[in-house]
Amino acid sequence: MTSMLTPRRAPRPPRGRPQLRTSYAQDMGLLNTPAKRRSTALVILAAFTVPFLVTDDLLLIFTLGLIASVGAIGLNLVTGYAGQVSLGHAFFLGLGAYTGAVLGGDPEGSVTGYGLPMWIWLPAAGVVAAIAGLIVGPVAVRLRGLYLAIVTLGLVFLGEHIFREARTLTGGPGVGRRGPDLELFGIDFAEAGSLFGLGLSRDQQQYLLALVFLIVFAILGRNIARSGVGRAFSAVRDRDVAAAVIGVNLTVYKVMAFAMSSFFAGVTGALYYAVVGVFEPGAFGLLLSIQYLAMVLIGGVATISGSIMGALFITSLPRIAQEIAHLFPIISTSTVGGGLINVFQFEAILYGLLIIGFLIFEPRGLFGIWMRIRNYWKGWPFSY
Amino acid sequence: MSTLALRIRERAERTPGAVAMREKNFGIWEQVTWQDYWQNAVLVGHGLLALGVQPGDRVAVHSENRREWLFSDIGITAVRAVTVGLYPTNPAPEVRHVLSDSGSSVLIAEDQEQVDKTLEIVNELPDLKHIVYIDPRGIRGRYTDPRLMSWEEFLALGEEHRAQHPGAVEERAEQAELTDVATLVYTSGTTGPPKGAMLTISNIEFVIDTLANQGAFVDPPASDKDLIVSYLPLCHVAERVFTTWFNAAVGSQVNFAESIETVQVALREVQPTIVFGVPRIWEKIAAGVHIRMSGASRLKRANFALWMRVSRWIGRKLVENEGNHTLATRLAYAAGWVFLYRPLRERLGLAKARYAASGAAPIAPEVLEFFMGIGLSMHEVYGMTENSAIATANVAGRIKVGTVGEPQQGAEVRIDEETGEILTRHPGTFAGYWNNPDATARTIDPDGWLHTGDVGEWVDGTHIKITDRIKDIIITAGGKNIAPSEIENSLKSSPYIKEAIVVGDRRRYLTALIGIELDTVGDWAQRRKIAFTTYRDLTEKPEVRELVQQIVDETNTKFASVETIKRFTLLPKELDHEQGELTATQKVKRSAITEQFAAQIAAMYDEAPQEVPA
Repeated sequence: MTSMLTPRRAPRPPRGRPQLRTSYAQDMGLLNTPAKRRSTALVILAAFTVPFLVTDDLLLIFTLGLIASVGAIGLNLVTGYAGQVSLGHAFFLGLGAYTGAVLGGDPEGSVTGYGLPMWIWLPAAGVVAAIAGLIVGPVAVRLRGLYLAIVTLGLVFLGEHIFREARTLTGGPGVGRRGPDLELFGIDFAEAGSLFGLGLSRDQQQYLLALVFLIVFAILGRNIARSGVGRAFSAVRDRDVAAAVIGVNLTVYKVMAFAMSSFFAGVTGALYYAVVGVFEPGAFGLLLSIQYLAMVLIGGVATISGSIMGALFITSLPRIAQEIAHLFPIISTSTVGGGLINVFQFEAILYGLLIIGFLIFEPRGLFGIWMRIRNYWKGWPFSY
Repeated sequence: MSTLALRIRERAERTPGAVAMREKNFGIWEQVTWQDYWQNAVLVGHGLLALGVQPGDRVAVHSENRREWLFSDIGITAVRAVTVGLYPTNPAPEVRHVLSDSGSSVLIAEDQEQVDKTLEIVNELPDLKHIVYIDPRGIRGRYTDPRLMSWEEFLALGEEHRAQHPGAVEERAEQAELTDVATLVYTSGTTGPPKGAMLTISNIEFVIDTLANQGAFVDPPASDKDLIVSYLPLCHVAERVFTTWFNAAVGSQVNFAESIETVQVALREVQPTIVFGVPRIWEKIAAGVHIRMSGASRLKRANFALWMRVSRWIGRKLVENEGNHTLATRLAYAAGWVFLYRPLRERLGLAKARYAASGAAPIAPEVLEFFMGIGLSMHEVYGMTENSAIATANVAGRIKVGTVGEPQQGAEVRIDEETGEILTRHPGTFAGYWNNPDATARTIDPDGWLHTGDVGEWVDGTHIKITDRIKDIIITAGGKNIAPSEIENSLKSSPYIKEAIVVGDRRRYLTALIGIELDTVGDWAQRRKIAFTTYRDLTEKPEVRELVQQIVDETNTKFASVETIKRFTLLPKELDHEQGELTATQKVKRSAITEQFAAQIAAMYDEAPQEVPA
């Protein structure tokens, strides 16, 4: 409102004062303080050294966890940020998995496969899922809360049925099919090989692939969340009527949320089952949707880093359950044989307990715990 | 020869793209380069020329600290007019006094609030021809006074004038003479109506030379790397030194907060390297730390208590060593730096402060020690409007707490043997009071010595300790001379006490009127589950009286028995400027207070209450 300031390139802000913001770009920067820059670099560095410190069987769990993180980020976009409860995530994951498998699968196999390279089947899996999301999206415009949950639940059953019956594409129940081949830039991730002059095992290679995949999509997710689209999502979540009043187009943003979320789910499905190998239609049931919801709830609603924490935690839960089972003889480690309950039942109970526990005691999830720890030190020497 | 305006022009030519100042608006610190600064000042100058301002005319500025204040100040001096600053808190009667006494022809007012104050009394101001308002909210389209003009219109007028008379402002600026009055600084007026002190260009040049070349205050001298947050009223000479003159002298960057309420946030964001505060500000920051600490978790409280103990020890050692560290204090400080001092200073916005100063009023040594203890290079300095704020200062490495330091380079300071009054003499001594030769004659003697009105004494032959204002010295019925401010400051060093006024002139013993600090005492009461409604209600709680009694008892142990407070009364309201109880600089107007609370004072001496005229 003041006087005439000649517009020109702004002088650099003074050094060592991260909070002195001289432009909105600086204010909105992804890593807008040196502390954030340092800690992010440290976390990424640590993530890259993990494959050289951990045994291969554990590494596979981490690999799957990293890939699942992208799916969890996708679900968090629609459920956490935009507030549209979706139980249909398994359907989009399945759609992506089968698109990837069909496009990238072995052309000589018993089921359909076109043998296309990864740079085609991976994005295609996302796009197909996103189109499905676009079709489902308008439903969300009409429905809210519980009703939307029921409709998306229907989607899962619909999807499961289609996957089971389309035998030429999916191999049918009990049989299943192989995922696509993991080969990118001439590197075959399905075999042990050497990367950058380092001799790496198959699992180490896949871990690194998954890590890069996650970094790309996490940055994408973060950028969606902190940009105008993300703000519109939050406005819709907090009160859709109020959002509409301030000029947020509800139809556009709800459909957009579903499409984006489905894209994330699609690419996750394709890559996840490429790493897993053989999979069958039964995998895309309601339980899968619940698992992803658990990742979001336990990790932290409407946070990207929370989604990653949640996904890593949930994917390693079977392993954790197994380790606990070894300690308590009343839990049998196989479906047959003695013990009060078996390890799979124990795992299901753990899911339930964790979801209930987190909802009651820590609604903001693992991320909330992290926030509390961070704020404790950030506030030092005061409490507020 | 150089002037403020020419110095700004020189910087605009030498470093046009460097930052001269910043102002926070809508969360963003907007930067103003030297080129912008000079261009805006030139436009203001042209605007004033277009309004017919002649050399020596007075132009008033009534605004909070903001960019336009500096643009105006430089623009006004560039056309050889005189800047008259008004406190944003000045009520209408004081505005009338300053505007009519100075005979200002143009007023630059910040917003509707300030414009209203002037419009209320505009008919009594025949000299006032134009009012420029900076913020149009509530004014544009509603006010019809022909004298009004918006800042944009004013600058547009300036541009028009510049197109017709290019270079007119610079021509005028180059004709400036050393004897030109650059600004009228109105004294706060604790005893009578404010008087306008005339500061000439040569006064200001003396100050600038002392700042830039003699390393006055800051050592090593300030430079264009230094950041300052400007928040005290710019019409006061101290803030003018630290904001405008430092900026013009060495190019230090000035930062303006969004408003006076957000200064704390601004301090944290800017982390200034040079901080000047009045005692009230330092007391408030220290009290704020204690309040927030009392709400902290147990571990954090224990951490604070431990390192504050260490810091008190360090503070004491520093005080003994004139502000110099010993090996032991260095080690203790290094450990405390990790656990408390660094994060605490960071939160207070003092992490990068290499020089902090307190001045303009006496401060309690306890407060200085607190800040020195957490590692701040804290200095008490002394000066007044009449000597352009240059008199004495504590210098890093030679600090004596409780004194105001050594005479500045180039300043002569002596103490009158008879009265004990501090006298100063240097080229910064003001040219006299505006329209008040009598008062001028009383203040500057024929030899050029300025009578400061403060009583002081030498400490170790190098440092000066100020006892009190000469007019405030209490002579008890027993004939004993007592300096009330020492006792008052000791009381005020408690976070619970905001104001203390010691009474006892021509009485048998001393009493005090004490005003509690609402924030801290309120917090204290809440913690003890003492319910209260208003400030007045709080002061009437017996527990609060007891709390204050404890503080008074503690203070009494530090003084001789004739100097102890025998009784006190809690003020039933917070003192403020609007009611004429405080000056614009938050100094207590003793006469107004003793008159207003005459009944309470009489009661403390068991006298029959006198009739108080309604």
